Amino acid sequence: MKRSAGVSKRVGSIKFAYMSPEEIRNLSATKIITPDTYDDDGFPIDMGLMDTHLGVIEPGLRCKTCGGRVDQCSGHFGRIELAMPVIHVGYVKEIKKFLRSTCRECGKLLLPKEEKEEYQEQMDQMERMGADSLDIRKLAKDISKKARRNKVCPHCKAEQQKIMLDKPTTFREDNTKLTPKEVRSRLEKIPDDDLIPLGMNPDVVRPEWLVLSVLLVPPVTVRPSITLESGDRSEDDLTHKLVDILRINQRLRENRDIGSPQLIVEDLWDLLQYHVTTYFDNQTSGIPPARHRSGRTLKTLIQRLKGKEGRFRQNLSGKRVNFSSRTVISPDPWLSINEVGVPEKAARELTVPLNVTASNIEYVRELVARGPEPTERGNYIPGANYIIRPDGRRIRVTETNAETVAEKLEPGFVVERELKDGDIVLFNRQPSLHKMSMMAHEVKIVPGKTFRLNLAVCPPYNADFDGDEMNLHVLQSEEARAEAKVIMRVQENILSPRFGGPIIGAIQDHISGLFFLTYKDPIFSRREVVSIFSNLVTDKIPEPAEEIDGNKYWAGKDIFSHFLPDDLNMHFRASICEKCDECIEEDCEHDAYVVIRDGKLVTGTIDEDAVGAFAGNIVDKLARDYGNDVAREFIDKITTIALGSITLRGFTTSIQDEDVPPKATKQISAVMDKAKSKVRKLVDAYQDGELEGLPGRSLEETLEVRIMKELGKARDEAGNIASKHLGLGNNAVVMARTGARASMLNLTQMAGSLGQQAVRGERPKRGYEERTLAHFKKGELGAESRGFVKSSYKDGLNPLEYFFHSMGGREGLVDTAVRTSRSGYMQRRLINALEDLMVSHDETVRNTANTIIQFEYGEDGIDPQRSKGGIAVDMDDVMTEFKVRKGGE
Amino acid sequence: MAKKDTINALIRRGIDEELAEKLANEGYLLGDVESASVEELKDHMNEEQAKDIKKKVGKKPKKKKKKSKKKKKSKKEEDIDMSTPEKIKPLKGVAKKLDKIQDEMGYDLPRSIIKNAADRIEEEGVEEEDYESILEIIYDKYKSRKIDPLDSVGIVGAQSIGEPGTQMTMRTFHHAGVAELGVTQGLPRMIEVVDARKVPSTPIMEVHIIDKWKKDRDKARMIASKLEVTRLIDIAELEIDMADMKVTIKPDMKKLEEENIEIDEIVEKMKKLRGIDAKVKREKDTIYLISEEAKFSQLHQIVEKAKEKKIKGLKGVERAIIRDVGSEYVIFTEGSNLKKVLGIEGVDISNTFSNSMVEIYNVLGVEAARNSIIKEAKDTLNEQGLEVDIRHIMLVADMMTNEGDVKAIGRHGVSGKKTSVLARAAFEITSTHLLRAAIVGESDDLDGVAENVIVGQPITQGTGAVKVKYTPRNDEGD
Repeated sequence: MKRSAGVSKRVGSIKFAYMSPEEIRNLSATKIITPDTYDDDGFPIDMGLMDTHLGVIEPGLRCKTCGGRVDQCSGHFGRIELAMPVIHVGYVKEIKKFLRSTCRECGKLLLPKEEKEEYQEQMDQMERMGADSLDIRKLAKDISKKARRNKVCPHCKAEQQKIMLDKPTTFREDNTKLTPKEVRSRLEKIPDDDLIPLGMNPDVVRPEWLVLSVLLVPPVTVRPSITLESGDRSEDDLTHKLVDILRINQRLRENRDIGSPQLIVEDLWDLLQYHVTTYFDNQTSGIPPARHRSGRTLKTLIQRLKGKEGRFRQNLSGKRVNFSSRTVISPDPWLSINEVGVPEKAARELTVPLNVTASNIEYVRELVARGPEPTERGNYIPGANYIIRPDGRRIRVTETNAETVAEKLEPGFVVERELKDGDIVLFNRQPSLHKMSMMAHEVKIVPGKTFRLNLAVCPPYNADFDGDEMNLHVLQSEEARAEAKVIMRVQENILSPRFGGPIIGAIQDHISGLFFLTYKDPIFSRREVVSIFSNLVTDKIPEPAEEIDGNKYWAGKDIFSHFLPDDLNMHFRASICEKCDECIEEDCEHDAYVVIRDGKLVTGTIDEDAVGAFAGNIVDKLARDYGNDVAREFIDKITTIALGSITLRGFTTSIQDEDVPPKATKQISAVMDKAKSKVRKLVDAYQDGELEGLPGRSLEETLEVRIMKELGKARDEAGNIASKHLGLGNNAVVMARTGARASMLNLTQMAGSLGQQAVRGERPKRGYEERTLAHFKKGELGAESRGFVKSSYKDGLNPLEYFFHSMGGREGLVDTAVRTSRSGYMQRRLINALEDLMVSHDETVRNTANTIIQFEYGEDGIDPQRSKGGIAVDMDDVMTEFKVRKGGE
Repeated sequence: MAKKDTINALIRRGIDEELAEKLANEGYLLGDVESASVEELKDHMNEEQAKDIKKKVGKKPKKKKKKSKKKKKSKKEEDIDMSTPEKIKPLKGVAKKLDKIQDEMGYDLPRSIIKNAADRIEEEGVEEEDYESILEIIYDKYKSRKIDPLDSVGIVGAQSIGEPGTQMTMRTFHHAGVAELGVTQGLPRMIEVVDARKVPSTPIMEVHIIDKWKKDRDKARMIASKLEVTRLIDIAELEIDMADMKVTIKPDMKKLEEENIEIDEIVEKMKKLRGIDAKVKREKDTIYLISEEAKFSQLHQIVEKAKEKKIKGLKGVERAIIRDVGSEYVIFTEGSNLKKVLGIEGVDISNTFSNSMVEIYNVLGVEAARNSIIKEAKDTLNEQGLEVDIRHIMLVADMMTNEGDVKAIGRHGVSGKKTSVLARAAFEITSTHLLRAAIVGESDDLDGVAENVIVGQPITQGTGAVKVKYTPRNDEGD
């Protein structure tokens, strides 16, 4: 490999053009005439489709054109001389346009000279003013429409006839068929000057070229044949199609030369047209697609490019890469959020290139000398897998040759070193819906076979551990590593640009753990504190809060405060806030008002709203005002402490958490009965015609709405009764209230009642004639017959309830399946529409055409990631700072 | 849309744009102009212009009575205050002072920040001498939070709107709500917004009432009844009289009174029934439609047509519901006809919305359409409880309205307009784009993201946009 220079070359632009027959002839390495591919010995036949002039696909053979071997020669084009011209399917519409808007006699555009010049002028002006090709195409369309209206040529006064197109490729003029030959001769007559107004660039293409007389044959490397185990060859679809073309072409030529009847020649000509058409596009409407012997439709040129599996989206917009790996993920709370655990097995395969220089040669020599799988006292240490010599040759480092290879190392060599702790890698989980789906981590080699990650980074990846797999990519250049470290590292992505808040933070047990640590400020003995802190390696333990009987005790809030910066001041409501009518703030009896003064948690409970992903106020403040380093350290430490706290206490939940006293059960059942009787009354009123309609609603709708409301109320009431008996002493409730997991609704569904099941937002009503199930009377409108589930999950559902519940459940499943694909497509379109937008140096937002989309990004030029929930400058912070400044003076 | 077509058609016939637009705005279609007399056209322009138009467009003059009605209406519209409301209100009080100080200090803080600061300063009662130091703090923070140049805001924006789309799917639960109008929400609505659908699946209007009437329930009801379409079938009974070959219409007097409709009005409307040969006769409170042809099928047809005839209200407005939102009565309508609503007396034209962005574009223009896109997208996301920064939504809206009309996100709109052949080919309809590019001789300058990915070189945003060149020192002499 050559030393990379400082300046890399770029492709400046790509120009598209159409190949003239002449160009095709000059370009082609050989003419192809025989439809046979290989002779009896299995060698390619000369002037056949696999001619070695077109390149080689078998090892050992040499290309007859350039003399290169398989990996040296990329192939050469050939050509087929068509006996009779045929029309290019991709351009039938263009050909039709030309035929219709030019004179059949003189070939000139059917517009008077002045008008043509006027249009020409208009087109020039558009170009001067920077119109793109699409605008010009639109004008060209108008011009051709206008020209088509002239029934008499303004130049030679020849009368024009109506030209029709029989899809896909047959032209008719007043019901007489125009052969491609005639079409071609007409197109030949069109002068260059008249092409521009019709949207064709005479510098790159002539219209008659759109009728093919020579067909370009792609190199064999584009359509390689494969040899099956049985020794049979299986040809590529394109080759098959080209064989068809050659066969018919030959027959057509023979028949034409011996002067066969016109009918036969024309039939063959049509057949040739069919084959050429399907060669380009095998999904042309109006003709049956060409099929393989087995009945499979052939994949021809356009099918190769088109769609999700086509060349563009599959191979060009996304590419396969080396230095990557994929495996199952599992959680590891002892890792930092910045780290990723890489199993030894993967680390041995993934490498980082090291440039050998005079200054590192000693180190590299030692590395190589270790061989590919070195260990030190049974522990993983990195070795080297390959060395690359300056001439590009790669040498595999093996156990046996390691020492000798190491000796050979010189500056200028490149050594592929195995991963070691601290390497920067990219870590990714699909679907990659936002930039936080791919972040840079530091490698930590771990035993086992799974990638490991800290639990706090699950939210941005949307990962869990029920079998999820993730991908890891090792960066190969110094620039890439630097960029990844500065821009993509996990700690740089704690704040989400979507809403300007934290997306990384404590989840689930972390939150429960911190709740138990801080709620109502419990005290811990020395043993307990040591246990809580035991997982943190370096930290000192804070001062004890009190001493009882000579034993020191620590307060939970002090332990949490230990990790806050000393000058932090905050106050906000915790997630467990009961939303009292009047907030008494610091004196909150529920310990739900968090006050942090000079880095000390004075009152309040730490829960989701303090440290949670998506909601954590403290994480948000630290990341924004103290920097990502502080925020990362904070998250790392408090999650560890939280786990210490929850491990100390122990935490479990079971169905017994939803036990309510029999009294409550009775109450709930009374509420249900009341609701049911109310529904009955409503139904009766409706049936007696006494129900009054809501404005703008029919009576039926009114009834439905009122029943839904009544039953909804009943469910809520049952829930309230249940939750009255479920206090914060209950683990399930702790999780729901602190925001760790689940919601009160889930709990009431378990303890109280499931409530009304909905299908498409309404009570289920279809099924049998005028009833949902055969168990009901026709026309019955009561609660049970329309999907009201009185039971709770704990009670268990009766068969009818179970049935209605599964109706609702099924709807949910279908919904998710349908909508994921829809939202995926919406996002693809959004990305495609907006991908080119960028803030330029003058703060405007522009696209690639340099059009200004916004004069100032978001009307204030603020980065949403740095804003506080979308607000550019938070006045709370400003006032605090102002007071500090003023006090300091 | 029809209006735009009319304008284009008129321009093509050689009428200058301003005039064409004016005619179209008056509700003329091409056919109407063709058949209108010079006198009628004169109402909207001077005689010369009218004659000119007749010359260019005119056909055989045909009398149409419709026009005089139109004229009356437009006069009525003139009475309503049509002055545009002030776009940006000048800063007042503390904000004004702050603005002045920041000018002196050479800062360029956005209005929103100044206003925010002013509110807070007033609340806390900060001394005027401290304004400067507060502004200093604000400016420091503001500067550090500005977006970096070369940042790829487009992709981040698209992701920020697209990513919650997957979450919208999860939340299918919605509670039995209030007796509201059924509105499409969640992901389907979001897709509708970015698609710039001509007519949303559930068109809705929110009609506010001018200040002096907004607390008056009767006035609200009056306006609502003007909006809502009333069909003949809603207020009358129709019977087929086989003996005399006629259709009998018996209006329900109670309902007529409720809806404030005169019988004569019905008679008028019946006379205008199109495509039917029937004489209209009124006898006291009954109206007869006497068929010319003595065929049962004919009578049946008359009934069908007459039944659906709109007697009152605005086309497309199926229902109007008055709701008390605390401080005022607001009318919500199912179905939308913004243009006509704005012409109704008592409607607060500065505070009336339709949820169709394209309709807003047609009636009020691009700027309004842009705001409407932002509003709709934001409301849809917020309704689902999803937090998305307004800046991302603005960017989408600005992209959609960048060329002066509302374009959809997708191959028929924004993406189809991309300059790069490769980018278009990579998105959708690959082959067509490549084939066209060949005969036009297009060239792709590889400025965008997709193109450079295809070619396999660094993209032109972020760190890839910085061009630094250096020649490495040749240490080894090779």
